[in-house]
Amino acid sequence: MKDDIVIKVDGVSKNFRLPHEKNSSLKSLIIHPFRKRRSVESQHALHDISFEVKKGEFFGILGRNGSGKSTMLKILAEIYRPTKGSVQVSGKLVPFIELGVGFNPELTGRENVYLNGALLGFSKKEIDSKYKDIVEFAELEDSMDQKLKNYSSGMQVRLAFSVATRAEADILLIDEVLAVGDADFQRKCFEYFRSLKTSGKTVVFVTHDMVAVKDFCDKAILIEDSKMIYKGTAAAAADRYLKLFS
Amino acid sequence: MSYYTKIGFRVYISDIMTVIMLLSKLYKKYHYSLILLRELVITEFKLRYQGSVLGYFWSLLKPLFLFVILYFVFVYFLRVGEGIPHWPVAMLVGIVLWTFFSEVTNNGLNSIVARGDVIRKINFPKYVIVFASSISALINLVLNFIIIAIFMIISGVDLQWSALLTPLFIFEIFAFGIGLAFILSALQVRLRDTSYIWEIVMQALFYGSAVLYPITMVIDQNLMLAKILMLNPVAQAIQDVRHMLISEQNATLQTISDGAWWSVIPFVLVLVILIVGALYFKRRSPYFAEEV
Repeated sequence: MKDDIVIKVDGVSKNFRLPHEKNSSLKSLIIHPFRKRRSVESQHALHDISFEVKKGEFFGILGRNGSGKSTMLKILAEIYRPTKGSVQVSGKLVPFIELGVGFNPELTGRENVYLNGALLGFSKKEIDSKYKDIVEFAELEDSMDQKLKNYSSGMQVRLAFSVATRAEADILLIDEVLAVGDADFQRKCFEYFRSLKTSGKTVVFVTHDMVAVKDFCDKAILIEDSKMIYKGTAAAAADRYLKLFS
Repeated sequence: MSYYTKIGFRVYISDIMTVIMLLSKLYKKYHYSLILLRELVITEFKLRYQGSVLGYFWSLLKPLFLFVILYFVFVYFLRVGEGIPHWPVAMLVGIVLWTFFSEVTNNGLNSIVARGDVIRKINFPKYVIVFASSISALINLVLNFIIIAIFMIISGVDLQWSALLTPLFIFEIFAFGIGLAFILSALQVRLRDTSYIWEIVMQALFYGSAVLYPITMVIDQNLMLAKILMLNPVAQAIQDVRHMLISEQNATLQTISDGAWWSVIPFVLVLVILIVGALYFKRRSPYFAEEV
Protein backbone atom coordinates (compact mmCIF):
# COMPACT_ATOMS: atom_id res chain seq x y z
CA MET A 1 0.00 0.00 0.00
CA LYS A 2 1.14 3.50 -0.75
CA ASP A 3 1.88 5.68 2.23
CA ASP A 4 -1.10 7.96 2.00
CA ILE A 5 -3.68 5.23 1.41
CA VAL A 6 -5.09 3.92 4.69
CA ILE A 7 -7.96 1.79 3.43
CA LYS A 8 -7.76 -0.28 0.29
CA VAL A 9 -10.84 -2.25 -0.73
CA ASP A 10 -10.19 -4.58 -3.61
CA GLY A 11 -12.96 -6.41 -5.44
CA VAL A 12 -15.03 -7.08 -2.34
CA SER A 13 -18.19 -9.16 -2.65
CA LYS A 14 -20.38 -10.39 0.15
CA ASN A 15 -22.98 -13.10 -0.06
CA PHE A 16 -25.20 -13.97 2.82
CA ARG A 17 -26.56 -17.45 2.99
CA LEU A 18 -30.17 -17.09 3.94
CA PRO A 19 -31.93 -20.39 4.47
CA HIS A 20 -35.52 -20.19 3.24
CA GLU A 21 -36.79 -22.38 5.94
CA LYS A 22 -34.55 -21.73 8.83
CA ASN A 23 -33.13 -25.07 9.84
CA SER A 24 -31.75 -24.27 13.20
CA SER A 25 -33.90 -26.88 14.88
CA LEU A 26 -33.56 -30.62 14.92
CA LYS A 27 -37.31 -31.02 14.75
CA SER A 28 -37.56 -29.92 11.16
CA LEU A 29 -34.65 -32.20 10.42
CA ILE A 30 -36.48 -35.17 11.94
CA ILE A 31 -39.90 -34.38 10.51
CA HIS A 32 -38.57 -33.73 7.01
CA PRO A 33 -35.43 -35.84 6.90
CA PHE A 34 -35.29 -36.03 3.10
CA ARG A 35 -36.41 -32.56 2.23
CA LYS A 36 -33.74 -30.76 0.33
CA ARG A 37 -32.16 -28.54 2.88
CA ARG A 38 -30.14 -26.73 0.32
CA SER A 39 -32.93 -24.28 -0.30
CA VAL A 40 -30.45 -21.71 0.87
CA GLU A 41 -30.71 -18.50 -1.02
CA SER A 42 -27.49 -16.72 -1.56
CA GLN A 43 -28.18 -13.05 -1.19
CA HIS A 44 -25.67 -10.80 -2.85
CA ALA A 45 -25.25 -7.91 -0.49
CA LEU A 46 -22.22 -6.48 -2.24
CA HIS A 47 -20.77 -7.11 -5.65
CA ASP A 48 -17.21 -6.32 -6.67
CA ILE A 49 -16.60 -3.11 -4.75
CA SER A 50 -13.21 -1.43 -4.99
CA PHE A 51 -12.08 1.89 -3.60
CA GLU A 52 -9.28 3.55 -1.71
CA VAL A 53 -9.38 6.01 1.14
CA LYS A 54 -6.47 8.37 1.66
CA LYS A 55 -5.16 9.54 4.98
CA GLY A 56 -7.11 12.48 6.37
CA GLU A 57 -9.98 12.04 3.95
CA PHE A 58 -13.65 12.25 4.85
CA PHE A 59 -15.09 9.47 2.78
CA GLY A 60 -18.83 9.03 2.25
CA ILE A 61 -20.65 5.80 1.45
CA LEU A 62 -24.05 6.65 0.05
CA GLY A 63 -26.95 4.54 -1.03
CA ARG A 64 -30.59 3.78 -0.44
CA ASN A 65 -31.90 1.57 2.32
CA GLY A 66 -30.88 -2.01 1.70
CA SER A 67 -28.35 -1.09 -0.97
CA GLY A 68 -25.51 -2.71 0.99
CA LYS A 69 -23.73 0.33 2.39
CA SER A 70 -23.99 -0.81 6.00
CA THR A 71 -22.66 -4.21 4.98
CA MET A 72 -19.69 -2.41 3.43
CA LEU A 73 -19.08 -0.61 6.69
CA LYS A 74 -19.25 -3.83 8.66
CA ILE A 75 -16.72 -5.41 6.33
CA LEU A 76 -14.40 -2.46 6.88
CA ALA A 77 -14.87 -2.94 10.61
CA GLU A 78 -14.02 -6.64 10.23
CA ILE A 79 -17.36 -7.62 11.69
CA TYR A 80 -18.15 -9.51 8.48
CA ARG A 81 -15.62 -11.37 6.42
CA PRO A 82 -15.90 -10.67 2.68
CA THR A 83 -16.87 -13.63 0.49
CA LYS A 84 -14.48 -12.44 -2.20
CA GLY A 85 -11.85 -9.75 -2.41
CA SER A 86 -9.73 -8.17 0.25
CA VAL A 87 -9.65 -5.20 2.59
CA GLN A 88 -6.43 -3.68 3.84
CA VAL A 89 -6.46 -1.17 6.65
CA SER A 90 -3.45 0.56 8.12
CA GLY A 91 -3.80 2.29 11.46
CA LYS A 92 -6.15 1.88 14.39
CA LEU A 93 -9.74 1.71 13.27
CA VAL A 94 -12.72 2.32 15.54
CA PRO A 95 -16.23 1.61 14.28
CA PHE A 96 -19.41 3.34 15.34
CA ILE A 97 -21.95 1.11 13.69
CA GLU A 98 -24.20 1.93 16.55
CA LEU A 99 -23.67 4.16 19.53
CA GLY A 100 -23.37 2.63 22.96
CA VAL A 101 -22.38 -0.88 21.98
CA GLY A 102 -22.79 -3.16 24.96
CA PHE A 103 -24.84 -0.65 26.95
CA ASN A 104 -26.79 -2.50 29.58
CA PRO A 105 -29.96 -0.95 31.05
CA GLU A 106 -29.35 -2.60 34.42
CA LEU A 107 -25.98 -0.91 34.92
CA THR A 108 -25.41 2.67 36.00
CA GLY A 109 -24.22 5.32 33.60
CA ARG A 110 -20.76 5.14 35.11
CA GLU A 111 -20.53 1.36 34.75
CA ASN A 112 -21.72 1.56 31.17
CA VAL A 113 -19.03 4.08 30.34
CA TYR A 114 -16.37 1.62 31.48
CA LEU A 115 -17.96 -1.32 29.66
CA ASN A 116 -18.50 0.58 26.43
CA GLY A 117 -15.03 2.05 26.74
CA ALA A 118 -13.50 -1.41 27.10
CA LEU A 119 -15.19 -2.51 23.89
CA LEU A 120 -13.61 0.50 22.20
CA GLY A 121 -10.25 -0.53 23.61
CA PHE A 122 -9.83 1.69 26.66
CA SER A 123 -8.32 0.30 29.83
CA LYS A 124 -9.78 1.29 33.18
CA LYS A 125 -6.94 3.73 33.77
CA GLU A 126 -7.48 5.44 30.45
CA ILE A 127 -11.17 5.92 31.18
CA ASP A 128 -10.42 7.13 34.69
CA SER A 129 -8.46 9.97 33.15
CA LYS A 130 -11.13 10.81 30.58
CA TYR A 131 -14.13 10.21 32.78
CA LYS A 132 -14.69 13.84 33.79
CA ASP A 133 -14.53 15.00 30.19
CA ILE A 134 -16.94 12.32 29.08
CA VAL A 135 -19.51 13.27 31.70
CA GLU A 136 -19.14 16.98 31.01
CA PHE A 137 -19.47 16.57 27.27
CA ALA A 138 -22.61 14.48 27.76
CA GLU A 139 -23.98 17.03 30.27
CA LEU A 140 -24.92 14.24 32.65
CA GLU A 141 -23.08 15.27 35.80
CA ASP A 142 -26.05 14.47 38.05
CA SER A 143 -27.18 11.14 36.64
CA MET A 144 -24.04 9.03 36.35
CA ASP A 145 -24.96 6.81 39.29
CA GLN A 146 -28.44 6.14 38.04
CA LYS A 147 -29.25 3.02 36.12
CA LEU A 148 -29.27 3.44 32.38
CA LYS A 149 -32.86 2.22 32.16
CA ASN A 150 -33.90 5.40 33.92
CA TYR A 151 -32.23 7.58 31.31
CA SER A 152 -34.23 9.15 28.52
CA SER A 153 -33.19 7.99 25.06
CA GLY A 154 -31.63 11.39 24.45
CA MET A 155 -29.49 11.04 27.57
CA GLN A 156 -28.36 7.56 26.52
CA VAL A 157 -27.34 8.74 23.10
CA ARG A 158 -25.47 11.71 24.56
CA LEU A 159 -23.53 9.47 26.90
CA ALA A 160 -22.73 6.99 24.15
CA PHE A 161 -21.62 9.72 21.78
CA SER A 162 -19.51 11.28 24.48
CA VAL A 163 -17.59 8.03 25.05
CA ALA A 164 -17.26 7.54 21.31
CA THR A 165 -15.68 10.96 20.80
CA ARG A 166 -12.86 9.97 23.16
CA ALA A 167 -11.80 7.09 20.96
CA GLU A 168 -8.22 7.55 19.88
CA ALA A 169 -8.35 6.18 16.39
CA ASP A 170 -6.63 6.94 13.12
CA ILE A 171 -9.70 5.86 11.21
CA LEU A 172 -13.31 6.24 12.33
CA LEU A 173 -16.26 4.45 10.77
CA ILE A 174 -19.49 6.28 11.40
CA ASP A 175 -22.94 5.00 10.54
CA GLU A 176 -25.57 7.73 10.72
CA VAL A 177 -24.92 8.72 14.26
CA LEU A 178 -24.90 12.40 13.51
CA ALA A 179 -27.90 14.40 14.52
CA VAL A 180 -28.51 12.98 17.93
CA GLY A 181 -30.03 14.76 20.88
CA ASP A 182 -31.39 18.28 20.93
CA ALA A 183 -30.22 21.21 18.86
CA ASP A 184 -27.61 22.24 21.38
CA PHE A 185 -26.06 18.78 21.48
CA GLN A 186 -26.23 18.48 17.71
CA ARG A 187 -24.16 21.61 17.43
CA LYS A 188 -21.56 19.97 19.68
CA CYS A 189 -21.55 16.90 17.48
CA PHE A 190 -20.95 18.92 14.35
CA GLU A 191 -18.19 20.78 16.12
CA TYR A 192 -16.64 17.43 16.94
CA PHE A 193 -16.84 16.36 13.31
CA ARG A 194 -15.19 19.59 12.21
CA SER A 195 -12.44 19.01 14.76
CA LEU A 196 -11.91 15.53 13.31
CA LYS A 197 -11.50 17.11 9.94
CA THR A 198 -8.96 19.62 11.06
CA SER A 199 -7.01 17.10 13.14
CA GLY A 200 -6.37 14.98 10.07
CA LYS A 201 -8.35 11.89 11.09
CA THR A 202 -9.65 9.63 8.40
CA VAL A 203 -13.39 9.15 8.54
CA VAL A 204 -15.64 6.80 6.60
CA PHE A 205 -19.16 8.00 6.83
CA VAL A 206 -22.47 6.34 5.93
CA THR A 207 -25.50 8.57 5.80
CA HIS A 208 -28.68 9.65 4.06
CA ASP A 209 -28.12 13.26 4.91
CA MET A 210 -26.86 14.86 1.70
CA VAL A 211 -26.33 18.21 3.38
CA ALA A 212 -23.89 16.59 5.76
CA VAL A 213 -22.20 14.76 2.89
CA LYS A 214 -21.64 17.98 0.95
CA ASP A 215 -20.56 19.70 4.14
CA PHE A 216 -18.01 17.18 5.37
CA CYS A 217 -17.05 14.61 2.79
CA ASP A 218 -14.26 14.99 0.25
CA LYS A 219 -14.88 11.85 -1.72
CA ALA A 220 -17.77 9.43 -1.84
CA ILE A 221 -19.06 6.29 -3.47
CA LEU A 222 -22.65 5.52 -4.29
CA ILE A 223 -23.92 1.97 -3.91
CA GLU A 224 -27.13 0.86 -5.59
CA ASP A 225 -28.39 -2.72 -5.67
CA SER A 226 -25.14 -3.99 -4.13
CA LYS A 227 -23.04 -2.51 -6.94
CA MET A 228 -20.93 0.59 -6.85
CA ILE A 229 -22.40 2.93 -9.45
CA TYR A 230 -20.39 6.03 -8.73
CA LYS A 231 -17.02 6.94 -7.29
CA GLY A 232 -15.79 10.50 -7.14
CA THR A 233 -16.25 13.80 -5.38
CA ALA A 234 -18.78 14.02 -2.59
CA ALA A 235 -20.84 16.74 -4.25
CA ALA A 236 -21.24 14.76 -7.47
CA ALA A 237 -22.06 11.57 -5.59
CA ALA A 238 -24.70 13.41 -3.58
CA ASP A 239 -26.30 14.71 -6.78
CA ARG A 240 -26.32 11.23 -8.27
CA TYR A 241 -27.92 9.94 -5.09
CA LEU A 242 -30.71 12.51 -5.26
CA LYS A 243 -31.32 11.59 -8.92
CA LEU A 244 -32.06 8.01 -7.84
CA PHE A 245 -35.31 9.24 -6.39
CA SER A 246 -36.49 11.40 -9.28
CA MET B 1 38.38 -11.15 33.54
CA SER B 2 38.37 -14.07 31.22
CA TYR B 3 37.00 -14.03 27.74
CA TYR B 4 34.37 -16.61 28.58
CA THR B 5 32.62 -14.74 31.33
CA LYS B 6 32.39 -11.71 29.09
CA ILE B 7 30.65 -13.72 26.37
CA GLY B 8 28.49 -15.44 28.92
CA PHE B 9 27.41 -12.09 30.33
CA ARG B 10 26.55 -10.73 26.93
CA VAL B 11 24.39 -13.74 26.11
CA TYR B 12 22.67 -13.32 29.42
CA ILE B 13 21.73 -9.70 28.72
CA SER B 14 20.49 -10.40 25.22
CA ASP B 15 18.43 -13.31 26.56
CA ILE B 16 16.71 -11.02 28.99
CA MET B 17 16.12 -8.51 26.21
CA THR B 18 14.52 -11.17 24.02
CA VAL B 19 12.27 -12.28 26.84
CA ILE B 20 11.23 -8.70 27.58
CA MET B 21 10.57 -8.02 23.91
CA LEU B 22 8.51 -11.18 23.68
CA LEU B 23 6.53 -10.31 26.78
CA SER B 24 5.80 -6.78 25.60
CA LYS B 25 4.74 -8.18 22.22
CA LEU B 26 2.44 -10.66 23.92
CA TYR B 27 1.09 -7.91 26.16
CA LYS B 28 0.36 -5.70 23.17
CA LYS B 29 -1.33 -8.54 21.33
CA TYR B 30 -3.56 -9.46 24.24
CA HIS B 31 -3.94 -6.01 25.80
CA TYR B 32 -7.37 -5.45 24.27
CA SER B 33 -8.51 -8.95 25.23
CA LEU B 34 -7.45 -8.41 28.82
CA ILE B 35 -9.22 -5.05 29.12
CA LEU B 36 -12.34 -6.60 27.68
CA LEU B 37 -12.14 -9.71 29.86
CA ARG B 38 -11.88 -7.56 32.96
CA GLU B 39 -14.89 -5.40 32.11
CA LEU B 40 -17.05 -8.34 31.00
CA VAL B 41 -16.31 -10.20 34.23
CA ILE B 42 -17.10 -7.14 36.35
CA THR B 43 -20.33 -6.59 34.46
CA GLU B 44 -21.42 -10.19 34.87
CA PHE B 45 -20.51 -10.05 38.54
CA LYS B 46 -22.61 -6.94 39.07
CA LEU B 47 -25.57 -8.14 37.07
CA ARG B 48 -25.79 -11.62 38.53
CA TYR B 49 -27.14 -10.84 41.95
CA GLN B 50 -28.62 -7.45 41.25
CA GLY B 51 -31.72 -6.71 43.24
CA SER B 52 -31.12 -9.56 45.65
CA VAL B 53 -30.60 -8.67 49.30
CA LEU B 54 -27.95 -11.26 50.09
CA GLY B 55 -26.18 -10.81 46.76
CA TYR B 56 -23.09 -12.86 46.28
CA PHE B 57 -23.75 -14.62 49.56
CA TRP B 58 -26.13 -16.83 47.55
CA SER B 59 -23.12 -18.40 45.90
CA LEU B 60 -22.29 -19.81 49.34
CA LEU B 61 -25.83 -20.53 50.45
CA LYS B 62 -26.89 -22.43 47.34
CA PRO B 63 -24.36 -25.29 47.59
CA LEU B 64 -24.77 -25.32 51.36
CA PHE B 65 -28.51 -25.95 51.18
CA LEU B 66 -28.07 -28.40 48.33
CA PHE B 67 -25.61 -30.25 50.50
CA VAL B 68 -27.99 -30.33 53.47
CA ILE B 69 -30.78 -31.76 51.30
CA LEU B 70 -28.58 -34.35 49.63
CA TYR B 71 -27.05 -35.25 52.96
CA PHE B 72 -30.44 -36.11 54.39
CA VAL B 73 -31.56 -38.06 51.33
CA PHE B 74 -28.42 -39.98 50.51
CA VAL B 75 -26.39 -40.22 53.69
CA TYR B 76 -29.03 -40.16 56.39
CA PHE B 77 -31.87 -42.16 54.80
CA LEU B 78 -30.31 -44.19 52.01
CA ARG B 79 -27.11 -44.76 54.01
CA VAL B 80 -24.90 -44.29 50.98
CA GLY B 81 -21.18 -44.23 51.61
CA GLU B 82 -21.10 -46.06 54.91
CA GLY B 83 -17.64 -47.33 55.68
CA ILE B 84 -15.91 -44.56 53.75
CA PRO B 85 -14.32 -42.08 56.12
CA HIS B 86 -15.73 -38.55 55.90
CA TRP B 87 -18.05 -39.54 53.06
CA PRO B 88 -20.39 -36.52 53.51
CA VAL B 89 -17.45 -34.16 52.95
CA ALA B 90 -16.28 -36.24 50.01
CA MET B 91 -19.79 -35.98 48.59
CA LEU B 92 -19.69 -32.21 49.04
CA VAL B 93 -16.39 -32.09 47.16
CA GLY B 94 -18.07 -33.99 44.35
CA ILE B 95 -21.07 -31.65 44.27
CA VAL B 96 -18.87 -28.55 44.25
CA LEU B 97 -16.59 -29.81 41.49
CA TRP B 98 -19.53 -30.99 39.42
CA THR B 99 -21.26 -27.62 39.83
CA PHE B 100 -18.06 -25.96 38.66
CA PHE B 101 -17.89 -28.12 35.54
CA SER B 102 -21.57 -27.59 34.86
CA GLU B 103 -21.28 -23.80 35.22
CA VAL B 104 -18.24 -23.55 32.95
CA THR B 105 -19.94 -25.51 30.16
CA ASN B 106 -23.45 -24.08 30.54
CA ASN B 107 -22.36 -20.44 30.93
CA GLY B 108 -20.00 -20.90 28.01
CA LEU B 109 -22.62 -22.57 25.82
CA ASN B 110 -24.95 -19.58 26.01
CA SER B 111 -22.30 -16.87 26.14
CA ILE B 112 -21.87 -16.19 22.41
CA VAL B 113 -25.58 -16.16 21.58
CA ALA B 114 -26.27 -13.97 24.62
CA ARG B 115 -23.77 -11.38 23.37
CA GLY B 116 -25.12 -11.46 19.83
CA ASP B 117 -26.06 -7.80 19.85
CA VAL B 118 -22.51 -6.71 20.61
CA ILE B 119 -20.95 -9.18 18.16
CA ARG B 120 -23.06 -7.72 15.36
CA LYS B 121 -21.73 -4.23 16.02
CA ILE B 122 -18.07 -4.40 16.83
CA ASN B 123 -15.20 -6.73 16.10
CA PHE B 124 -13.31 -8.13 19.05
CA PRO B 125 -11.74 -11.45 20.01
CA LYS B 126 -14.76 -13.65 20.66
CA TYR B 127 -12.99 -16.15 22.87
CA VAL B 128 -12.91 -13.45 25.55
CA ILE B 129 -16.68 -13.88 25.96
CA VAL B 130 -16.33 -17.60 26.66
CA PHE B 131 -13.51 -17.01 29.14
CA ALA B 132 -15.42 -14.22 30.89
CA SER B 133 -18.40 -16.52 31.35
CA SER B 134 -16.17 -19.12 33.00
CA ILE B 135 -14.60 -16.70 35.48
CA SER B 136 -17.78 -16.42 37.53
CA ALA B 137 -17.77 -20.21 37.82
CA LEU B 138 -14.18 -19.97 39.05
CA ILE B 139 -15.13 -17.38 41.67
CA ASN B 140 -18.00 -19.59 42.84
CA LEU B 141 -15.62 -22.52 43.11
CA VAL B 142 -13.26 -20.59 45.36
CA LEU B 143 -16.16 -19.54 47.60
CA ASN B 144 -17.45 -23.10 47.71
CA PHE B 145 -14.08 -24.37 48.83
CA ILE B 146 -14.46 -22.20 51.93
CA ILE B 147 -17.54 -24.29 52.80
CA ILE B 148 -15.62 -27.47 52.07
CA ALA B 149 -12.82 -26.34 54.40
CA ILE B 150 -15.31 -25.68 57.18
CA PHE B 151 -16.85 -29.14 56.82
CA MET B 152 -13.41 -30.71 56.66
CA ILE B 153 -12.57 -29.18 60.02
CA ILE B 154 -15.94 -30.22 61.53
CA SER B 155 -15.53 -33.74 60.19
CA GLY B 156 -11.95 -33.94 61.44
CA VAL B 157 -10.26 -34.69 58.11
CA ASP B 158 -6.58 -35.45 58.47
CA LEU B 159 -4.97 -33.21 55.85
CA GLN B 160 -2.10 -34.73 53.85
CA TRP B 161 0.62 -32.98 51.88
CA SER B 162 -0.91 -34.47 48.73
CA ALA B 163 -3.80 -32.04 49.18
CA LEU B 164 -1.56 -29.48 47.51
CA LEU B 165 -2.15 -31.31 44.23
CA THR B 166 -5.85 -30.41 44.28
CA PRO B 167 -5.51 -27.29 42.05
CA LEU B 168 -4.00 -29.49 39.37
CA PHE B 169 -7.19 -31.51 39.06
CA ILE B 170 -9.35 -28.41 39.26
CA PHE B 171 -7.33 -27.10 36.35
CA GLU B 172 -8.01 -30.36 34.54
CA ILE B 173 -11.77 -29.91 34.99
CA PHE B 174 -11.48 -26.28 33.91
CA ALA B 175 -9.52 -27.18 30.77
CA PHE B 176 -12.04 -29.89 29.88
CA GLY B 177 -14.96 -27.55 30.55
CA ILE B 178 -13.58 -24.60 28.60
CA GLY B 179 -12.71 -26.85 25.64
CA LEU B 180 -16.29 -28.11 25.61
CA ALA B 181 -17.57 -24.54 26.09
CA PHE B 182 -15.73 -23.47 22.93
CA ILE B 183 -17.30 -26.27 20.91
CA LEU B 184 -20.77 -25.87 22.41
CA SER B 185 -20.94 -22.07 22.14
CA ALA B 186 -19.98 -22.18 18.46
CA LEU B 187 -22.47 -24.99 17.80
CA GLN B 188 -25.22 -23.12 19.65
CA VAL B 189 -24.87 -20.25 17.17
CA ARG B 190 -25.76 -22.56 14.28
CA LEU B 191 -28.06 -25.03 15.98
CA ARG B 192 -30.12 -23.91 18.96
CA ASP B 193 -30.82 -27.51 19.91
CA THR B 194 -27.33 -27.74 21.28
CA SER B 195 -28.41 -26.46 24.69
CA TYR B 196 -31.16 -29.08 25.01
CA ILE B 197 -28.91 -31.89 23.90
CA TRP B 198 -26.22 -30.75 26.30
CA GLU B 199 -28.72 -30.69 29.16
CA ILE B 200 -29.46 -34.37 28.60
CA VAL B 201 -25.79 -35.28 28.21
CA MET B 202 -25.03 -33.47 31.48
CA GLN B 203 -27.80 -35.35 33.25
CA ALA B 204 -26.31 -38.67 32.11
CA LEU B 205 -22.77 -37.56 32.95
CA PHE B 206 -23.87 -36.44 36.39
CA TYR B 207 -25.17 -39.85 37.38
CA GLY B 208 -22.21 -41.49 35.68
CA SER B 209 -19.66 -39.41 37.54
CA ALA B 210 -20.12 -40.86 41.02
CA VAL B 211 -20.98 -37.48 42.52
CA LEU B 212 -23.68 -38.57 44.96
CA TYR B 213 -22.45 -42.10 45.55
CA PRO B 214 -18.97 -43.50 46.15
CA ILE B 215 -17.36 -45.17 43.15
CA THR B 216 -16.76 -48.23 45.34
CA MET B 217 -20.47 -49.06 44.95
CA VAL B 218 -19.86 -49.55 41.22
CA ILE B 219 -16.52 -51.28 41.71
CA ASP B 220 -18.15 -53.88 43.97
CA GLN B 221 -20.74 -54.74 41.36
CA ASN B 222 -18.90 -54.35 38.08
CA LEU B 223 -15.25 -53.36 37.98
CA MET B 224 -15.25 -52.98 34.20
CA LEU B 225 -18.12 -50.47 34.35
CA ALA B 226 -16.34 -48.53 37.07
CA LYS B 227 -13.24 -48.33 34.90
CA ILE B 228 -15.25 -47.08 31.93
CA LEU B 229 -17.04 -44.47 34.05
CA MET B 230 -13.73 -43.23 35.36
CA LEU B 231 -12.44 -42.50 31.87
CA ASN B 232 -14.63 -39.41 32.01
CA PRO B 233 -12.19 -36.66 33.07
CA VAL B 234 -14.69 -35.10 35.48
CA ALA B 235 -15.31 -38.38 37.32
CA GLN B 236 -11.60 -39.13 37.38
CA ALA B 237 -10.71 -35.66 38.69
CA ILE B 238 -13.41 -35.74 41.37
CA GLN B 239 -12.11 -39.08 42.65
CA ASP B 240 -8.53 -37.84 42.61
CA VAL B 241 -9.44 -34.76 44.63
CA ARG B 242 -11.38 -36.89 47.11
CA HIS B 243 -8.38 -39.17 47.37
CA MET B 244 -5.88 -36.37 47.92
CA LEU B 245 -7.98 -34.06 50.05
CA ILE B 246 -10.34 -36.21 52.13
CA SER B 247 -9.33 -39.84 52.44
CA GLU B 248 -7.09 -42.26 50.61
CA GLN B 249 -9.86 -44.81 50.72
CA ASN B 250 -11.51 -43.03 47.81
CA ALA B 251 -10.58 -45.11 44.78
CA THR B 252 -9.03 -43.33 41.82
CA LEU B 253 -8.47 -44.38 38.26
CA GLN B 254 -4.81 -44.98 39.14
CA THR B 255 -5.66 -47.28 42.05
CA ILE B 256 -8.24 -49.38 40.18
CA SER B 257 -6.23 -49.67 36.98
CA ASP B 258 -2.91 -50.40 38.72
CA GLY B 259 -1.39 -47.69 36.59
CA ALA B 260 -2.18 -49.39 33.29
CA TRP B 261 -1.55 -47.42 30.10
CA TRP B 262 -5.20 -46.59 29.58
CA SER B 263 -5.36 -44.68 32.82
CA VAL B 264 -3.97 -41.68 30.90
CA ILE B 265 -7.03 -41.65 28.62
CA PRO B 266 -8.85 -38.90 30.59
CA PHE B 267 -5.85 -36.57 30.29
CA VAL B 268 -5.53 -37.27 26.58
CA LEU B 269 -9.26 -36.64 26.25
CA VAL B 270 -8.94 -33.24 27.96
CA LEU B 271 -6.10 -32.28 25.64
CA VAL B 272 -7.98 -33.42 22.54
CA ILE B 273 -11.18 -31.58 23.52
CA LEU B 274 -9.19 -28.43 24.30
CA ILE B 275 -7.38 -28.44 20.96
CA VAL B 276 -10.44 -29.40 18.92
CA GLY B 277 -12.50 -26.78 20.78
CA ALA B 278 -9.96 -24.00 20.19
CA LEU B 279 -9.57 -24.85 16.50
CA TYR B 280 -13.30 -25.21 15.84
CA PHE B 281 -14.05 -21.95 17.65
CA LYS B 282 -11.31 -20.12 15.77
CA ARG B 283 -12.69 -21.37 12.47
CA ARG B 284 -16.29 -20.46 13.21
CA SER B 285 -15.84 -17.15 15.03
CA PRO B 286 -15.45 -14.92 11.91
CA TYR B 287 -19.02 -15.89 10.98
CA PHE B 288 -20.65 -15.35 14.37
CA ALA B 289 -21.73 -11.81 13.45
CA GLU B 290 -23.86 -12.96 10.51
CA GLU B 291 -25.12 -16.22 12.00
CA VAL B 292 -25.94 -15.33 15.56
